[in-house]
Amino acid sequence: MLFQVENLTSGYGKIDVVRSLSLHVDEGERVGLFGPNGHGKTTLLRTVSGLIPAKSGLVVFRGEDITGADPHKIVKKGLIHVPQGNQLFPEMTVQENLTLGTFAARTDKGKASNFEKVFALFPRLKERLSQRAQTLSGGERQMLAIGVGLMGMPELLILDEPSVGLAPIIKEELARAIGEIADSGVTMIVVDQDVELLLGICERLYLIEKGSVSLETTDVSQVNQAEILEMYFGKVT
Amino acid sequence: MTLEAIAAIIASGLVSGSLYALMASGLSLVWGTLRMFNFAHGVLVMIGAYSGWYISDRGGLAKVLQPLGKKITKNSEDWGLMGDILYPLGEWILSIKSGFGLGIGVPLAIVFCGIAGYVIYVLLVKPFVGKPNADLIVIITTIAGASFIQNGVQVIFGPRYKKLDRILEGRPLEVLDTAIGLQEVLIIVLTPVTLLLLHFFLKLSKLGLAIRAVAQNDDFARLVGINVNQIYPQTFVVSSMLAGLAGLMLGGLFFILPTMGSEPLLRAFVVVVFGGLGSLPGTIVGSYVIGLIEQSSAYVFSLYWAPVVLFATLILVLIFRPRGLMGGKES
Repeated sequence: MLFQVENLTSGYGKIDVVRSLSLHVDEGERVGLFGPNGHGKTTLLRTVSGLIPAKSGLVVFRGEDITGADPHKIVKKGLIHVPQGNQLFPEMTVQENLTLGTFAARTDKGKASNFEKVFALFPRLKERLSQRAQTLSGGERQMLAIGVGLMGMPELLILDEPSVGLAPIIKEELARAIGEIADSGVTMIVVDQDVELLLGICERLYLIEKGSVSLETTDVSQVNQAEILEMYFGKVT
Repeated sequence: MTLEAIAAIIASGLVSGSLYALMASGLSLVWGTLRMFNFAHGVLVMIGAYSGWYISDRGGLAKVLQPLGKKITKNSEDWGLMGDILYPLGEWILSIKSGFGLGIGVPLAIVFCGIAGYVIYVLLVKPFVGKPNADLIVIITTIAGASFIQNGVQVIFGPRYKKLDRILEGRPLEVLDTAIGLQEVLIIVLTPVTLLLLHFFLKLSKLGLAIRAVAQNDDFARLVGINVNQIYPQTFVVSSMLAGLAGLMLGGLFFILPTMGSEPLLRAFVVVVFGGLGSLPGTIVGSYVIGLIEQSSAYVFSLYWAPVVLFATLILVLIFRPRGLMGGKES
């Protein structure tokens, strides 16, 4: 098992947002997390990557307990969390953003080929290389965010809401790119509201509700859309 | 207004603008990354001037060492082998009777300022990083530290004013019938060079890139693997070295005294707000604008009215551009 979260509880101040949540990801797997807003998905990711401390529970990566480790150390181990696309270095160019993605790398070896890989995936970034991140469109920003994550040579790539606020056509483009990343052997956790997108990419889904896992399914073809709708919006009468 | 008056105003405006630019860019860097104001920044200016003086001047370190040199050369014969080894050292100490000179004093003083900045960070800032209301607490701790250091320097170096030797001696430069001292010319030329170096440092070096990254988005900086808690002191050191350079320039123009940094610090704060918080280009443009406004209003009205004009301009700018000349949007 590559990655495991065990009975994790965390939150802000006295409020627990993630409540004794457990999940696991095997090597090479693509796992999707979905669930309504405000139920702890992003908080879970922020705890996993060390941005906020865990109150209790364990985060294990490659058999090593990384609970409460400094974020830069976690990144160095190859666990890379790509936050939502509006989280970039807004006043830096696309190139500078991507360069910063290699910050944790110990050597410059493979830096150039990483750039090439990112450009092959997102040709648009190459066109916008000297443009500031804040002048990019929403879709391009999301591509850049994922690109920055890829520059760090992830072994586990965690994407937080890659499709949020994007036009359907860009969503499709992005889904294809994410699929390609997964096919190249990167283990992935994708968090998104768009279950259809997750169904296209992932092999296994978790539903996160009220801070913990309320459903796990390996057979994505069997996910009942009506049931999910009910979870989001309540019973339609 | 005559042409020579205008030339004189521009020259002195550029000199004070340069000093403000060096100070304010450091303040702006620290504010950008830590979201804190360092009120001990003026003290670092003073430390730059004092350490520069102490190392370079014959009344400083060289004078203190003289008795030691005399003792070594006089007694080394009685010390056997040890004496043979120490004798050249004693001779060398005696030979530096007239001080180490500015060539050694200036770089060492800048390094020393970097160290002093690091110590100030560790003692007065680091304990509060990440705590609630850290920005307000750090204002108090750095004011307290500044006062402590100022008075400590007064005790150590005494109340007598010091002065740095001029780096460039010689006849003043004649521009449009106005004589501009070579020291002033040096400051006017050296500051843009330093700021350009700072620009390339921030743009091209790994540390510079990381400093900007933390300033723009500290969470994302953590997620790409930047050790933010290490960037804070490093930013502080860079900022302190800039303050030290400003102090060395100031010390060549005016007297060196423990409170010499307070007045420029106040101006530097005005500059940072005027130019736009966290914007380095805004801070630099603001420095020169403030320098020129100050000097021209001192000429046209009087020295006492200069601050009035200065703050009136600040208020006007903030009414129409609440985020300063080049301040960014609310994030």
